[in-house]
Amino acid sequence: MLELKKIDAGYGFLQVLWEVSLKVEEGEFVALVGPNGAGKSTTLRTVAGLIKPKAGEVIFDGDVINDLPAHIISRGGISYVSEDLNLFRDMSVRENLILGAYAVPDKETQLEILEFIFSLFPRLEQRQNQLAGTMSGGERKMCAIARGMMSNPKLMLVDEPSLGLQPSLVNDVFSALLRLRDQGVTILLVEQNVNATLEFTDRAYILEQGRIVMEGPSKEVKQDKHVQNAYLGI
Amino acid sequence: MAKEKGSTAVVEESLWIKIQDNLPAIVVIAITIFIAIAIGVWGGWPQLLNSILTGGMWALLSVGLALVFGVMNIPHFAHGESFMVGAYVAYFVFTPLNNYLQQNPSRFLAAVAPLIAILAAGLAGLILGVILERALFYPLRLRSKPGEWVMNAFLLTVGISFVLINTVKLTPFLGNDFYGLGGGYWKVETLNVYPKAEAEDALEGLDQETYQPVLEYLTTQEGSITLGQVQDKFGVSRADLEKLAERRIIGFGNDDPLKRWLGIQGLTTERAASFLISILCIVALWFFLRRTRTGRAIRAVSQDEVGAKMMGINLNFIFPLTFGLATAMASIAGGSLLFMFQAHPNVGLTPLYTAWFVVMMAGLGNVIGAVVGGFIVSILQTATQQFTYGALINVIPTIIMIIVLLVVPSGIFGSEVKGIQE
Repeated sequence: MLELKKIDAGYGFLQVLWEVSLKVEEGEFVALVGPNGAGKSTTLRTVAGLIKPKAGEVIFDGDVINDLPAHIISRGGISYVSEDLNLFRDMSVRENLILGAYAVPDKETQLEILEFIFSLFPRLEQRQNQLAGTMSGGERKMCAIARGMMSNPKLMLVDEPSLGLQPSLVNDVFSALLRLRDQGVTILLVEQNVNATLEFTDRAYILEQGRIVMEGPSKEVKQDKHVQNAYLGI
Repeated sequence: MAKEKGSTAVVEESLWIKIQDNLPAIVVIAITIFIAIAIGVWGGWPQLLNSILTGGMWALLSVGLALVFGVMNIPHFAHGESFMVGAYVAYFVFTPLNNYLQQNPSRFLAAVAPLIAILAAGLAGLILGVILERALFYPLRLRSKPGEWVMNAFLLTVGISFVLINTVKLTPFLGNDFYGLGGGYWKVETLNVYPKAEAEDALEGLDQETYQPVLEYLTTQEGSITLGQVQDKFGVSRADLEKLAERRIIGFGNDDPLKRWLGIQGLTTERAASFLISILCIVALWFFLRRTRTGRAIRAVSQDEVGAKMMGINLNFIFPLTFGLATAMASIAGGSLLFMFQAHPNVGLTPLYTAWFVVMMAGLGNVIGAVVGGFIVSILQTATQQFTYGALINVIPTIIMIIVLLVVPSGIFGSEVKGIQE
């Protein structure tokens, strides 16, 4: 479904990604893990169209998308839940969600999706009229993820959802993602929390200093000596 | 019991917190209301009414400015030129219609012509705004590095202002002249009766049957009578009455319909109409921003551009739309205020300063604040005129604004700009 072929990308003169290649098949739950500053967010931003790669291709469903503007990519079925969440803080939860379905043409379908999302995230339904900026960290993450789902995406890019959350909430976030996966959504997850991530995902890529250094089924990656040393504190 | 007490305490607390959060706004609004009442009591209620009507116009003007700043992060210093364009367009649409009406009087057209002119002004503003945004601001955005945009955009608006003003000045048939309305948008023709009407030989040479009853009617009326009244009553044409005018028995004049009807000093049709138009525009904008998909998208862009892109919102649609709307509103203001501000190249300067005044005091980018702020500033200006010297009309409100900004730097109602550090 998604393929990155030898992507070189960065910010201005600073090159962050060096020949990054990865694949996500339909229905998979794939992780992209690595240390701080490795370029994981940059990778997601490149797929989402917020950054244009200097070299290489991003292929989605057979189409080359790396030269398309971000809003077109979004409408093409890729949802990006950023690390900063980019919620509309002065709007209510409900309004944020409705905006998530901006590209959905008719209002009835929008409301149907909204009802469905509320069933997956009951706490958001409770707080639907609350301003998004006034919610707690965990609730905001839920809101951002739910908003990402509102467009009925084929692929979700989720960037460090567990960052800064207390362990119980981390659990909530991951269960939410698994529920989404059960709905048939393909997910590419970026995380620093390697332990939990390797637990829940199908496959994983390790990104270090802008290069893919390892890939494989999550279970195998978890057993790898280097991974255990560097990331799992074993 | 304990539970009930607890919940009451929560409700009271949140109300108190709400008051605390909005304290500057509440204080200022309270003071303004107090001043408004003072104006009414010492200056008369028509004075206050006028102040409110003007406030509506400032509100319309300032809303556009706030919108452009909030959504596009552009400190717009050519907003007054949008006003100017509106004034000119309205003049040049109304004048031919008016001339046509002289030859072919029509009550309906006479009532509607000004509205057509104002609508044309709005359309011109919309087109101008879209063209300016696409032709100038879009390329600038592509070229600007993130920290430079605000300054770049500001300088661009200054340049636009300069170019627009001087283009008008250099246009052969426009030049530096003032184009005003003369009689106002809406007027009724009246007949003034002169002393000669009493003379014995007044109707010499004229058809007695036709003119005698008219003359009798005219001389027995107090004040001026409208042309329409006489025509309806006696079936005489304007040409017939012109014969009377030739003999200096009567004279033609103009009066304002609303003023005749309601008799309130200063409450003319133009003022009432411009106020209603601005209220209409503001309410329409409110509905648009709050209830429609595109309006919601505009609000989203003003809060988080990246987030908006991620939702599939096309910024290359939102930006020209927003800029076009803001320009259109300023042009509508310019068109409907033609009776107050004659069309000339520099007519936009006062509206520009006032609008910026309002926006700075109310809070940059705050659209609702701009609306309320428009009224507040208008009342401040009127109060200054009334209770101090007229020459201080801009001085005292400016001093007040400086004080307000010292106390509440983000404006009375709070700023809503992204990347304000830039």
